[in-house]
Amino acid sequence: MTQPHSTRGAWLIVLASLITVAICVYDYYTPETGLIGSGGVILVAGAAVLMFLASLVMAIMPNRGALLQTFLTVSILLDIIGSSVAGYFLESPVIMAAQALALVGWLVNVISNAAERSVETDEVEDED
Amino acid sequence: MKTKVKTAALVALGAAAAAAIYLSPFGATAQNSMMMMAGGSDQVWDAFGGNQQAQKYSTATQITPDNVKNLKRAWSIHTGDVSSGRRSTTWGATPLFVNDTVYVGTPWYRIFAVEPDTGKTKWVYAAGGAEGPPQNQGLKSRGVAYWAAALPEAGQACQKMVYVGTQNGELHGVDADTGKRCAGFGNNGVVNVDAWSTKNKKFKLGLIQPPAVYKDTLILGWAGLDWVYKTENPGTVFGIDARTGALKWTFNIIPPDMENQTGTANVWAGISVDPETGLAFLPTSSPSPNYYGGDRLKEMPYATATVAVKAETGEVVWSRQLVHHDIWDVDTNSAPTLLDIKKDGQVIPALIQATKMGFHFVLNRNTGEPVWPIEERPYPASDVKGEVAAKTQPYVPYPEPTIPDATPPVSKFADFVSFGECSRWKARLRDEGRYTPPSIRGSISWPATLGGVEWGGGAVDPTTNTYVVNSNIVPQIYTLVPRADADKLYGKDPRGPGGYSAQEGSAYGFKLENFLNMWGMPCWQPPYGTLHSYDMNTGKQLWKKPFGQVQKWGFYMPESWGSITIGAPVITKSGLIFIGASMDSRVRAIDLKTGDVLWKHIVDAPAVSQPAVYTYKGKQYVVFAVGGNGILTPRLSDQLVAFALPS
Repeated sequence: MTQPHSTRGAWLIVLASLITVAICVYDYYTPETGLIGSGGVILVAGAAVLMFLASLVMAIMPNRGALLQTFLTVSILLDIIGSSVAGYFLESPVIMAAQALALVGWLVNVISNAAERSVETDEVEDED
Repeated sequence: MKTKVKTAALVALGAAAAAAIYLSPFGATAQNSMMMMAGGSDQVWDAFGGNQQAQKYSTATQITPDNVKNLKRAWSIHTGDVSSGRRSTTWGATPLFVNDTVYVGTPWYRIFAVEPDTGKTKWVYAAGGAEGPPQNQGLKSRGVAYWAAALPEAGQACQKMVYVGTQNGELHGVDADTGKRCAGFGNNGVVNVDAWSTKNKKFKLGLIQPPAVYKDTLILGWAGLDWVYKTENPGTVFGIDARTGALKWTFNIIPPDMENQTGTANVWAGISVDPETGLAFLPTSSPSPNYYGGDRLKEMPYATATVAVKAETGEVVWSRQLVHHDIWDVDTNSAPTLLDIKKDGQVIPALIQATKMGFHFVLNRNTGEPVWPIEERPYPASDVKGEVAAKTQPYVPYPEPTIPDATPPVSKFADFVSFGECSRWKARLRDEGRYTPPSIRGSISWPATLGGVEWGGGAVDPTTNTYVVNSNIVPQIYTLVPRADADKLYGKDPRGPGGYSAQEGSAYGFKLENFLNMWGMPCWQPPYGTLHSYDMNTGKQLWKKPFGQVQKWGFYMPESWGSITIGAPVITKSGLIFIGASMDSRVRAIDLKTGDVLWKHIVDAPAVSQPAVYTYKGKQYVVFAVGGNGILTPRLSDQLVAFALPS
């Protein structure tokens, strides 16, 4: 069953994932980064593409099922955690900063959703 | 603290990798040298080891521990001489700075002469020989040597010469100002050194390491393939007239009556020279075949030894064997570092011979007698038919060895993530610590051919006798394969997959394996590489730290793990150590007093050499040849990069 979910924060995650992809492309082809041609950068780029797709769904499909909402929320969080850890071991502060941006978007989305759920519940209680 | 966080985070990464679906799917001349020893000049870096004494020391003081954080790239060039695959290059050159020029030899056997302050090319000389099927050990170079006439003839060319060797046994001599061949050197600038090797010839002589220089004599060794054949070119060192290329003398390392039983024991590493006494110090390697000595049981005292010869005649003055009956390929692999030790109110003319075993043999360089006692300790017998391992080996308790006596324990982390593979593998192997002989079931060689200390050796500040050296902690697996099984498994090819080499002509083939788990992780506990500082007046170790970082698939492992290193440090009078060498493609400046990293910079590949330090027009430069080495990572380069403080 579909129900409206917040799209707040989703566009921030989209932006963060695009920034991450751009950073990865630069790192992969630039010797001075120390990450030229490295598999770790491809890994983060792949994760960023998945994050982009997930956050895009979140942004453009406000009416989605609870299951899909849960999947997107958990997946994006795992992606952020994994990419942050990878960024730490790649010694790439910019990747970690992009993940921090994504985390802000994720928090905004989760909090907004919780707030909206709370308002809906209050409304139902008022009707009683 | 940072290390603990990183280790914890590593464990978290492992857990996250299992859970997170997005992450899981995806690895000088003697004259110049004397000046340097006296501390009279900070201008030149005219030999592979900084000077002919292999001290790797600069009196330059512009870059200090306080301002090194401001160090910036001054210039960078790419020679174009890099290739991978079957024609993979290995570039471990130290650039020379002399004659107001930086000279560097490449693995395609070219000499680049560049301006010291801009990197702009003055001239390039191509020796040729890099085309076609790779000879000997492939496309490999550690650079060039420089010689200058003591009394130059005005207006004449070739009063200053630069020499580069090739892997097909040619030594080329060119004018240092123009890069033109010196017609009076050999045959129009080329000496066919390979032609001097006539017995049991299995390969052309690989002139990887540039010659040492004493007055008008070049002292030249060569590299071979001592793990491939039983009987092959017997090891020789040549004294060559620096002007004419004429052979002045030959030093034979293998006794004549053993030449049909073995070969090599050659000098493939740097050679150091005492400009005051005219002694050249030769680090000799193990005889062939490397890992089975049943056909060469007779003593060969010059093999795996340090041998002092008169530089102008090749006459042996003294020798000291560092490993008896070497069946581990623990070649003496670096030029001894010369210094004058102040001990008990006396000045001892000494040398430090770093080794793959992590020992430092500190010897009186005039007599070969040890400065601190060397013991003969018993070691395990071989269980291989035909082999008789030496009952005792020299052991140097002081200065403290860079590696412990026992094999490092299995890494719990590597064992856990490989479902016990590491511990199961180790249980099957023969492991009795140092000098465990190779066996048919497989032995943990500790240390193994990667060392201990690699071919760069150490650096010394001759004013304080502070000595710095990098060292590896790498056990490897040595397995002998009986000939019939070897022929069945690998055919008649002298080299095969999985680290196989035939040791052709002997009773056993040989397999060298790295002790890694299914994920390519080292099965032993870190650190994998360390940096050490010693006071060589007392022999006391001042500090010891993990050095470098392992980088795999771009991920940097914790600093406490250190890195396997190839290359060497240099020391400056201002109290800095400059070193590349590590797997993580970084070059570093380190505080000589504390061992703390003060500055680091990413370069194109591991800088598997030692840098050059020089001052030109009032500015101090540190230059690295960045070549990479397939042993460390697949990342190779052709970058020559200089660092300096901003103007």
